[in-house]
Amino acid sequence: MNKFMEVLENFLMPIADKLNNNRYLTALRDGFMIALPLIIFGSIFVVLANLPFLDMLIGEEAYATYQSALGPASAATLSIMGAFVIIGIGTKLTQSYDIEGIYGGVAAFAAFLILTPQTLEGVSGVIPTSILGAEGMFLGIFTAFIAAELYRFFVQKKWTIKMPAGVPDAVSRSFSALIPITLTLSVFLVVRIIFSYTPFDTVQNFIYTIIQEPLTALGSGLPATLVAVLLIQVFWFFGLHGQIIINSVFDPIWYALNDENLQAFQAGSELPNIVTKQFIDTFLVGMGGSGMTLAVVIGIFVIGRSRQLKELGKLGGPPGIFNVNEPIIFGLPIIMNPLALIPWLLAPVVVTFITYFSMATGLVPKPAGIIVPWTTPVGLSGFLATGNAWQGAVLQFFNMAVVFLIWWPFLKILDKSYYESENKGENSQAS
Amino acid sequence: MKHILLACSSGMSTSLLVKKMEEEAENKGIEVKIWAVAQDKAMEELENADVLLIGPQMRFMKKKYSKTAEEAGTPLDVIDPVAYGRVDGKAVLEHALKLIDG
Repeated sequence: MNKFMEVLENFLMPIADKLNNNRYLTALRDGFMIALPLIIFGSIFVVLANLPFLDMLIGEEAYATYQSALGPASAATLSIMGAFVIIGIGTKLTQSYDIEGIYGGVAAFAAFLILTPQTLEGVSGVIPTSILGAEGMFLGIFTAFIAAELYRFFVQKKWTIKMPAGVPDAVSRSFSALIPITLTLSVFLVVRIIFSYTPFDTVQNFIYTIIQEPLTALGSGLPATLVAVLLIQVFWFFGLHGQIIINSVFDPIWYALNDENLQAFQAGSELPNIVTKQFIDTFLVGMGGSGMTLAVVIGIFVIGRSRQLKELGKLGGPPGIFNVNEPIIFGLPIIMNPLALIPWLLAPVVVTFITYFSMATGLVPKPAGIIVPWTTPVGLSGFLATGNAWQGAVLQFFNMAVVFLIWWPFLKILDKSYYESENKGENSQAS
Repeated sequence: MKHILLACSSGMSTSLLVKKMEEEAENKGIEVKIWAVAQDKAMEELENADVLLIGPQMRFMKKKYSKTAEEAGTPLDVIDPVAYGRVDGKAVLEHALKLIDG
């Protein structure tokens, strides 16, 4: 068993290293991080604008006024999150070459707008906000990568205008960015013109049809989701942060699916996707952390007799409420523990099935596209993520009971062995 | 004053350790400044630190950090998983101090 574990870990470490330290995936993750405060700000106001029973309380008309008053908050942030993600990625990727980032960021955004159709239903001089949401997500990411790469290439080639000494730093910097930005954006203008002669008409349309649609269709399905969920668990089993590693690949897909739901939710039409960013964050992570270990903490309180587990329950309980579970993962321990492997892998798979089918059958509303911070406690997060639906919270508690039952026999064996070794007076430090 | 920097995925789980380590340092009468950051902020904070400790779940970042840390002459290491699981402030503080003393 040990030999096998060693082989597996030697196989997984380089993957984790590659995925996490890849320049582009790092920029992608950090870019989303920049957009996150704005996304959460917008989410708060979607929640406030859709408070349950409020329409009955203050009347339809007042409710409509209330909703339209709060509308701009999410329309300017959450709904156009692509804009901030693009600037974020462009900035971070440029920075990774030790070049001032913000010019790379705005160049990326401008490049994206150049590729964007600037008409909507015959009206020209407008930028459709939908392209800054889900629709343009993939093009936005690619554009940010390419624009930042081109920009830093031209900067590193030193094709810049040198200012005489004595010119203020900020002034000379704005000039030094001039030629690289001009060249970068010209490339994108040429690309746009070329595409206008193809059947796709715009690059937007091309990327959406060729890449985004097939990928999101794949990512929204149950098989791909199960693979992602299992991979997260396997990485964690070896003590590697599975969420960080897998999210850097899946986040663009999950966020795009999320935004499709948000648009439908705000338009009052049927939500298209079950698997979204919130499906994972709320129903699989938001129950005590990766692997839904809040149920394990409860299990420890219910059946724990050994000092080791009791101690761990006290340590892991409070952070577990806010979905931080490293004490449980490293303390139980779950990592490298053959006894924990089965419930650790099985519980998330079962919960994925339950959650998926309870939403597919309409028993529980699908995630409404609201981004709930991952530290939100269980119950509240399920309520918020499903667009203020109590069923979301109930589903979380039901799933917790399921996780609890799956862990029960394994926790019992673990507790017993700790208890016995403690009472034999053996050193319980050895694990 | 010893400056100890901890880094993990978002600076959450290492922040659990910060408090325990501070308590331990106070008991021992050592003056310390201990703080936890998310992995993407670690390199920015490095210049203010005498030592960098990484959460074991982010140990694959060690290679990437090593280059910058070596240039800055700041020692770094991965926190022992067992000590991490126990939120064992004493063990991690000792580890940090040992690294600082070289």
